[in-house]
Amino acid sequence: MLAVRDLKVRYGAVEAVRGLDLSLARGQLLALLGANGAGKTSTLAAIAGLVPAAGRIEIAGETAGGLPPETLARRGVALVPEGRRLFAGLTVAENLTLGGAVHTPPAERRRRVAAMEERFPVLAERRHQKAGLLSGGEQQMLALARALMAGPRLLLLDEPSLGLAPQMVERVFDIVAGLKAEGLTILLVEQNVPMSLAIADQAVVLANGRAALSGPAAEVAASDHVRRAYLAA
Amino acid sequence: MDRYCRRAGALALAVTAATATGALAQDYVIGVAVANSGGLAPFSQPAYDGFKFCVDEMNASGGIAGKHPIRLEVRDTRSEISEAVKFAQEFVDIGVNFIVAPPDGDPTMAMGQITSPAQIPTMTFAGTAPILTSVGEYVFGSYPADNQQAAVLGAYAAELGYKTAFLLKSPDAAYTQFGPAYFGTVFEANGGQVVGEASFTMNQPDFSAIVTTIQALNPPPDVIMTSAWEPDFPAFIKALRGAGVTIPVMGADVLDTPTVRGLGEVVEGVVHTSGGYPDPGSAHAEFNARFEAATGKVADTNYVVNGCDILGMIDAAVQAAGTTDAAAVGQALAALPETEGIMSSYTFAGTDRMPMRSVVLARIEGGEKVIIRREMADPATMPAP
Amino acid sequence: MDLILQQMVNAVSLGGIYALLALGLAVVFSIVRLINFAHGEVMTVAGYGIWIALASAWPVAAAVALGLAVAILAAVSMERVAFRAMRGADVTTLLITSFAVSEIIKVLFQNGISARPVPVVLPAWMSGTLDLGPVRIGVIALISILTVALSLVLLSVFLRRTVMGLAMRAAAEDFPVVRLMGLRANHVIALAFAVSGILAGVAAVLWVAQRGSVDPLMGAAPVLKAFIATVLGGLGSLTGAVIGGFVVGAVEVCLQGFLPQSLLPYREAISLALIIAVLVWRPDGLWPAEQTSRS
Repeated sequence: MLAVRDLKVRYGAVEAVRGLDLSLARGQLLALLGANGAGKTSTLAAIAGLVPAAGRIEIAGETAGGLPPETLARRGVALVPEGRRLFAGLTVAENLTLGGAVHTPPAERRRRVAAMEERFPVLAERRHQKAGLLSGGEQQMLALARALMAGPRLLLLDEPSLGLAPQMVERVFDIVAGLKAEGLTILLVEQNVPMSLAIADQAVVLANGRAALSGPAAEVAASDHVRRAYLAA
Repeated sequence: MDRYCRRAGALALAVTAATATGALAQDYVIGVAVANSGGLAPFSQPAYDGFKFCVDEMNASGGIAGKHPIRLEVRDTRSEISEAVKFAQEFVDIGVNFIVAPPDGDPTMAMGQITSPAQIPTMTFAGTAPILTSVGEYVFGSYPADNQQAAVLGAYAAELGYKTAFLLKSPDAAYTQFGPAYFGTVFEANGGQVVGEASFTMNQPDFSAIVTTIQALNPPPDVIMTSAWEPDFPAFIKALRGAGVTIPVMGADVLDTPTVRGLGEVVEGVVHTSGGYPDPGSAHAEFNARFEAATGKVADTNYVVNGCDILGMIDAAVQAAGTTDAAAVGQALAALPETEGIMSSYTFAGTDRMPMRSVVLARIEGGEKVIIRREMADPATMPAP
Repeated sequence: MDLILQQMVNAVSLGGIYALLALGLAVVFSIVRLINFAHGEVMTVAGYGIWIALASAWPVAAAVALGLAVAILAAVSMERVAFRAMRGADVTTLLITSFAVSEIIKVLFQNGISARPVPVVLPAWMSGTLDLGPVRIGVIALISILTVALSLVLLSVFLRRTVMGLAMRAAAEDFPVVRLMGLRANHVIALAFAVSGILAGVAAVLWVAQRGSVDPLMGAAPVLKAFIATVLGGLGSLTGAVIGGFVVGAVEVCLQGFLPQSLLPYREAISLALIIAVLVWRPDGLWPAEQTSRS
């Protein structure tokens, strides 16, 4: 589904990603791990078309590098950005509607909004509230639901558990695991290494913009490097 | 004798110049400060069109005084006074023979402060504020001054039986501020009374508040007088008539434009002054026809013919001076006795360089300018600048 | 009392036009961070459109339609020709670009048509008056107030009930995320300019109807007032722009109507001083735009 070869992202003099290879098969979940500033978010932004990057990006066998974010969205790439970036002044329902903006028939959009409200009942309760007034966990639900509205083929999640209460973190991982079980292809960027590795098929540990370690999630979890640095074992 | 010497000297100079350059006669250089854009453009463009048309005609028949080809140095001030000042200095540096300034008192005064000490006669395209000549001995008006217009209009208002008047002024220009004030002075001298005033800003978006102030006057004034021009006058009269106020309105020569006449019902009956009127068969009408035939433009305001009269004034002054020397021409112009013009005759002698010219009283009827009468202001009743 | 009521009608009528213009500025600013000083020229273009139509003896409705159409066209082509190339530039660069566009259009009209105003004559019934209780209101002022109200309602419905309307509100908060939803940046921006164009077109129709002439500088003064209104309301806030427009109109009418004669020439200075005082009290304006945190 996703193949990245020799990805490089630079912001002026700073090279955030320095030659990264990733590959993600359909229906799999790849966890992209690493410390702050390792280049995780830049990698997601590059795949979603938000920042210019060098190297090859292929999505479902088609070249995706250099395309604008709106085109990638129409090809089935959905990003839940770090910090959620909801439209705070718009209501919950309006945020969902925009998430489904690529579906031009309004009836289809309404059907999907209803489906999301069924899946996340809290969003139905808060339908007419401004998104900015939701709690952190509710905002994360909305951000996920907004991305799912487009019916994506590839879901990019940037730190979905960041800043949430522990029960809510578990809930978020449950939802992500559920999406994977439904067959969605997911690239997950996380700081919560143990929980990510528990639901991932593959994992890549980034350090200084390069892959320091990669392989099946279980192998990565068993590696000394990861055990020492992240799993406190 | 003196005159003869000067003429001989000029001749000698001309001969020297001719031998030096190979030209037959010395060019007469006129520095022209126009306003192709900005607030003065509506007046500058027609005035320059008329001026240029007559310069070309005059050059075809030998030039100024029949022998000096006219060369124009045209600069665009974009209606900015700072630009006008810059060009005034440039004209002085070039050593032009004569300067024509933008059609408003303020830039003309600003230029005059530089050009008058250099003794270069400087005439406004159409500025009518009589104070404009106060900045120097070499600064001249060309159009009947505001106080001449006010003397005629104020007396006419009293003659129509109006007892009370409301004045609409703007401090943004000498013209819009003092025009109504002169009118008030003359109106009161003729037994009328000014019962109220309002002040507007040029290009003011909205006149409804002023109209409401006027509506609140009890009893209503008999007449409203303003020197507002475009687009303020159209906006004011639309708001006034749109609010159902039918009080007669009088205005100044700036209302003499097709735009104002084209406003329809709202300007019906508006009385205004003007510098002239193209009576059938008159030199003015004949000029308008000639101008239209040659340029394809309609001479739809008096500023066109006045532009041509300005050249006539320069020509008359050069002939009277017998030289193209700037200072001599300026002195001759200031002493010019009554001279035939195209729009009307003009007299500089005995004035402070704002020419005495007849004032036309006109009324707008059915979108046409209808002449009421033509009269010369009595210097005795003219308010002091 | 009647006088106060009457001046209130004047204030609403004038403030409404400022509100439309300010809204147009705010719609564009909220999305592309451009204070479009050429917005006044969109109004001027619409004014000339109406003039040409009426001079060709078109019915009033057709002339109004033409005015609106050319306003949309002018606003959208401005974006396409001048501002798209500058996209992402800083606020100052965009501001200077808009001044350049404004000057170019003014000079084109001054030299291409005439520096002089051209008269626009509307049917006589539009110059009449109606007596509503103690207030005598001009037909045009009444039409103006109703049109402004209708425009605000329609715009509000558009912004709340359509996907593109939602996208415009969302873009004001976080444009990159709107693109992540699959909405094309060029479409959203072009639409913002089109909306600002139609608002300027409506303002132009009302303006020309009230003033009776169109000139190359027609849009300059009102757009300056509208700019003050957007700053007063809170730059980038649509609700703020409307509030600011009405406040500026009311201040202007009240000062003109109720200041003593000797202070009238200082009217503009007093009104600007009042506005500065408001901004000292509330630096982000009366109704600031929603702030979203961005990483």
